[in-house]
Amino acid sequence: MPMVLLECDKDIPEREKHIYLKVDGEDTRDFLPVSNAQTIPGTLSERGCAFCGAKLVIGGVLKDTIQMIHGPIGCAYDTWHTKRYPTDNGHFNMKYVWSTDMKESHIVFGGEKRLEKSINEAFDEMPEIKRMFVYTTCPTALIGDDIKAVAKKIMQERPDVDIFTVECPGFAGVSQSKGHHVLNIGWINEKVGTLEPTITSEYTMNFIGDFNIQGDTQLLNQYWDKLGIQVIAHFTGNGTYDDLRCMHRAQLNVVNCARSSGYIANELKKQYGIPRLDIDSWGFSYMEEAIRKICAFFGIEDRGEKLIAEENAKWKGKLDWYKERLKGSKMAIWTGGPRLWHWTKSVEDDLGVQVVAMSSKFGHQEDFEKVIARGQAGTYYIDDGNELEFFEIIDRVRPDVIFTGPRVGELVKKLHIPYVNGHGYHNGPYMGFEGFVNLARDMYNAVHNPLLKLAATDIRVKEVVAYSEAAE
Amino acid sequence: MISPAHNAKADQLFSYVQERCLWQFFSRTWDRKENIEGICNAASEMLTGKQPPRHTPMEKLFYADALVMVSDFRQRFPWIESENPSHIHEILGVLKEKLVDISITNSKNHELSHSLY
Repeated sequence: MPMVLLECDKDIPEREKHIYLKVDGEDTRDFLPVSNAQTIPGTLSERGCAFCGAKLVIGGVLKDTIQMIHGPIGCAYDTWHTKRYPTDNGHFNMKYVWSTDMKESHIVFGGEKRLEKSINEAFDEMPEIKRMFVYTTCPTALIGDDIKAVAKKIMQERPDVDIFTVECPGFAGVSQSKGHHVLNIGWINEKVGTLEPTITSEYTMNFIGDFNIQGDTQLLNQYWDKLGIQVIAHFTGNGTYDDLRCMHRAQLNVVNCARSSGYIANELKKQYGIPRLDIDSWGFSYMEEAIRKICAFFGIEDRGEKLIAEENAKWKGKLDWYKERLKGSKMAIWTGGPRLWHWTKSVEDDLGVQVVAMSSKFGHQEDFEKVIARGQAGTYYIDDGNELEFFEIIDRVRPDVIFTGPRVGELVKKLHIPYVNGHGYHNGPYMGFEGFVNLARDMYNAVHNPLLKLAATDIRVKEVVAYSEAAE
Repeated sequence: MISPAHNAKADQLFSYVQERCLWQFFSRTWDRKENIEGICNAASEMLTGKQPPRHTPMEKLFYADALVMVSDFRQRFPWIESENPSHIHEILGVLKEKLVDISITNSKNHELSHSLY
């Protein structure tokens, strides 16, 4: 019975199809959890909405683009500043948030005029910024505001600006995954090919599905610079709007997050004939493999080997120090989707850590194929897990550390289990060689920190002690 | 009919590919087929002392993926060095069949045949 019905799910037995316990000798032909399916009534999902997937994950990363959210103010605030994606121009994307602040009267009488006013206001306030994404949200989609028409009108009136519209209200899909999809497909169809890049190297690529979390993109870019490879567009870590319009000129698409960004890589292959190379950027072994593959594609294998040797000389000793102290630790990964399959073997191979449970909020069956192929037997694989399920799984597998987001993280801290921020990181970057040492350090600090264990000890004495006043 | 010994060797390679290679899990049936065919063919060439073609962008991609895989094969499965070319082709042919079976024919992934990405 490898599909698991947890005790807490006895009143929602449909959840059994979403939770898998891998058994030796089985593979994904036998069992594959249902995923990217509507959340079952009765379970309190931790998913985000489709709009959030477009704005918070992909669009909001860009460093030179106003993110105009056409909806009530909460849609703006709740998708702003909760990710840690800095930029090399002073973190423009994290400093500001824009909203049309729709109120009841705008819902009743229509919000297009308000959107037009807000767009003009934003460009007037920030005259150095000439690029904008406009997003619909649930209410503005329901009342049928035509954001494309408004954007078109403004682009005619202000020829120096360019606007991309994302029509993906929160209810458009079962999770944030739909927003990734809509933005990817919209961008390739409307914006890619509308600008020509300046080519500075005979080797060019797009780096797709990396969002510069705590500087991931900037760290990896040091490698590409050393190898002499020009990254035409970063989709979208530390990226610019105009670079993304030039994606059609790259010779290779290198894909890290295949879940959020595989769509645009597929379309670039289909429409422009650019091959898609999927890599893992977390972990020494994987990073070495990725560099070797990219260099083999361009025929610059020697440069790759030199870089790998330099990075190992700098970082391998540190990694091994942590490995010695983390070996045998048990880890749970409760994140969005791809980090399950990116991390499970890298922490096992590079750090000797055993992953005992993994939960994905928005992964598709493709992601579960990958993670079940890579993960161990005896490990739980969960789609769209909820709090009660997490409690029960924790009792079953007793992890030493959980990589998850701050909300679930605060919850597990109450059980005196340390967590490391698996979305925004504790002290990243985590990608690349240096990054994986950072991840190991944060895991070590979590696993070996005595505070949570001390906090679990009740130091109160049973009898009430009457303290004497000093004056007595 | 493949010999049990060759089948067992193909199983070893299959376990490695399942664990290490993302190209078998691309989004759609046609992508997976193309990758399995292209990369296994390039690997077959390399393991029999030939140079796979590197003229088109896709050939370069298959070469890059196969190069790393073949290097790992040689390191993890030393028996591969002593197989003659016809055995290599046979074993890699079985590997292809196994990959097609798990990632396409008997895959439970319902998105594989969607006409759009």
